[in-house]
Amino acid sequence: MADVESGGDKGGGDKVGGEDVGDDSPAKSTEGHPHRAGSPVSRSGGPPPIIEMRGVGKVFFRGKEPVEVLRNLNLDVPEGSFEALMGPSGSGKSTLLNLIAGLDQPTSGTARVAGHDLVKMNDSELAKFRSRTMGFIFQAYNLLPVLTALENVELPLLLVSLTASERRKRAQTALRVVGLEERMDHYPRQLSGGQEQRVTIARALVNDPTIIVADEPTGDLDRKSADDVLTLLERLNTELKKTILMVTHDPAAAERATVIRRLNKGALE
Amino acid sequence: MNLVSVAAKNVGRNKGRSVMTVLGAAIAIVLFVLLQTVLSAWNVGVEAAAKDRIGTRHKISFILPLPKRYADDIRAVPGVKTATWANWFGGKDPKNPNSFFATMAVDSKTFFDVYDEMKLAPEVKEKWLEDRKGAIVGDVLAKQLAVKVGDRITLSGTIFPGDWQFNVVGIYEATRKSVDRSQFIFHWDYLNESIPEKQRDTIGWVIARIDDPGKGADISATVDRMFDERDIQTATMSEKAMNLSFMAMLSAILKALNIVSVVILFIMTLILGNTIAMGVRERTNEYGVLRAIGFQPKHIVVFILAEAATVGLFSGLVGLALAYPIVELGMGRFLEENMGGFFPYFRIDKSTMAAAVGLGLGLSLAAALIPAYRASKLSVTDALRRIA
Repeated sequence: MADVESGGDKGGGDKVGGEDVGDDSPAKSTEGHPHRAGSPVSRSGGPPPIIEMRGVGKVFFRGKEPVEVLRNLNLDVPEGSFEALMGPSGSGKSTLLNLIAGLDQPTSGTARVAGHDLVKMNDSELAKFRSRTMGFIFQAYNLLPVLTALENVELPLLLVSLTASERRKRAQTALRVVGLEERMDHYPRQLSGGQEQRVTIARALVNDPTIIVADEPTGDLDRKSADDVLTLLERLNTELKKTILMVTHDPAAAERATVIRRLNKGALE
Repeated sequence: MNLVSVAAKNVGRNKGRSVMTVLGAAIAIVLFVLLQTVLSAWNVGVEAAAKDRIGTRHKISFILPLPKRYADDIRAVPGVKTATWANWFGGKDPKNPNSFFATMAVDSKTFFDVYDEMKLAPEVKEKWLEDRKGAIVGDVLAKQLAVKVGDRITLSGTIFPGDWQFNVVGIYEATRKSVDRSQFIFHWDYLNESIPEKQRDTIGWVIARIDDPGKGADISATVDRMFDERDIQTATMSEKAMNLSFMAMLSAILKALNIVSVVILFIMTLILGNTIAMGVRERTNEYGVLRAIGFQPKHIVVFILAEAATVGLFSGLVGLALAYPIVELGMGRFLEENMGGFFPYFRIDKSTMAAAVGLGLGLSLAAALIPAYRASKLSVTDALRRIA
């Protein structure tokens, strides 16, 4: 897969936390990662970032005690990038991913994703936003066991005005993209972990979302299956131009992303 | 594929639990159907009452007698076509004293004119009128007493003590399913002549046929007014009301049956509610996934309700499928043949069938409302974090 230089390919004028960082951002990782960035990437005068977060904070309550999970976080993600979010457990990776995906709302700050101001949206609007803009890949696959691979992929299309045959056709296409055309009528229990995750990817893809969020997509897979899934994500990024945000603990998985961001104690490094 | 069909498929996910739940609820439905059938069988006489018949009884109670001459007075009331009378005899088969059947001393000349749903061939009627000890029985009772036309039978009198001999001269034909086919009918004259003189010339009640059913209330009022100034006053009412007043004596039993029905349905709701709540808890993570990919809270409610409706519908249908042979092929026949006096027609009626399926469905939906509401109110991230 072509190594997309976030700074180089996307242009200069990048920002970190809303500040200009120069043309060569993000910086290369000393650990051999293709790129390492705690910084948002944007180009002055270029298209606005597809994800734009400003001063975002998130506080949860454990009983009556507030727990600050994210604090004053600024993030710009350019359209078409493939970014990995890394960090220790409890650093706020999944919380950030949830905020970007419209699954949760920040306690403070603004979050603008694909032109939508998520903070101002109500529950119903957020649901519509997710169904049209986001594709989800979960660590535990989360397929419905009573549905075949094809039916699982078809599921998000129930929210779209399509005929049954159109839905089926699109679901078949999505499964073909992930290389599972031979397994369409198999139930999740009849598939391997890697195949299940590919069905999940097809489900994430079927609505033609702008952004795909993946929370530990390879966490439950062996190396070979994980590589297949990551290769698939790379293809979605390069061939279908999907913006992908992936939370991972696995450095090998993160290496496949074009940008790596690190979170620590609720702040981007 | 749609959300409802996906939810319905979920029912088959934990087959063991679903089967147990459906069976548990189905057994409750069977009990409900049986109790409702008892109630409707008990009411069948009320429901089948002729609209053009009115009944006159003692104003104070059914069990108190009227003077026989009242029947002639009633026949003279404008609007009354014909009238007959009867007396409850309370006969028992000495060989089987616990077996109940209706034994009535009737005005043999007019009885079958007023009760024309009980058919008797003219030659049989003629023969009966000639035989003072002649009796007409229903086919079910004839079988129960093991008698046929031409046989002699002795009954023990409970209201009029002693051994009473009868000749079986005919079997009446029931032209409506509501007719009790286990009645024993004989001449009132035979009774009247055989009892002590001071008890003579009294009757239990008078039943009259009227010209216009719409004037039943007016004619009833006229009849009662006629006897207002006499020693014994009357209460005249439609046949349906008369049957109901007889049923009122059993009201405590009927009320108890209704209460038991409600308790059974409540237990069924608890069974269904528990299963649905368990299923919802186990699948919270999946609801989180559905919400994440764009389904709204209302979709989650539909999803859970559809699953509950499937279980409820199955429970209703399975319950009905179990109850049907029990009633139609076993219990119904047995009761009609052995307790025809109480249950002349013991079959599941259509309204009970509809109620069984409807209640299975409705109560299942009701049981799912709270789990569905709670699931729909969960935040997406909380739901996604839940592990079954």
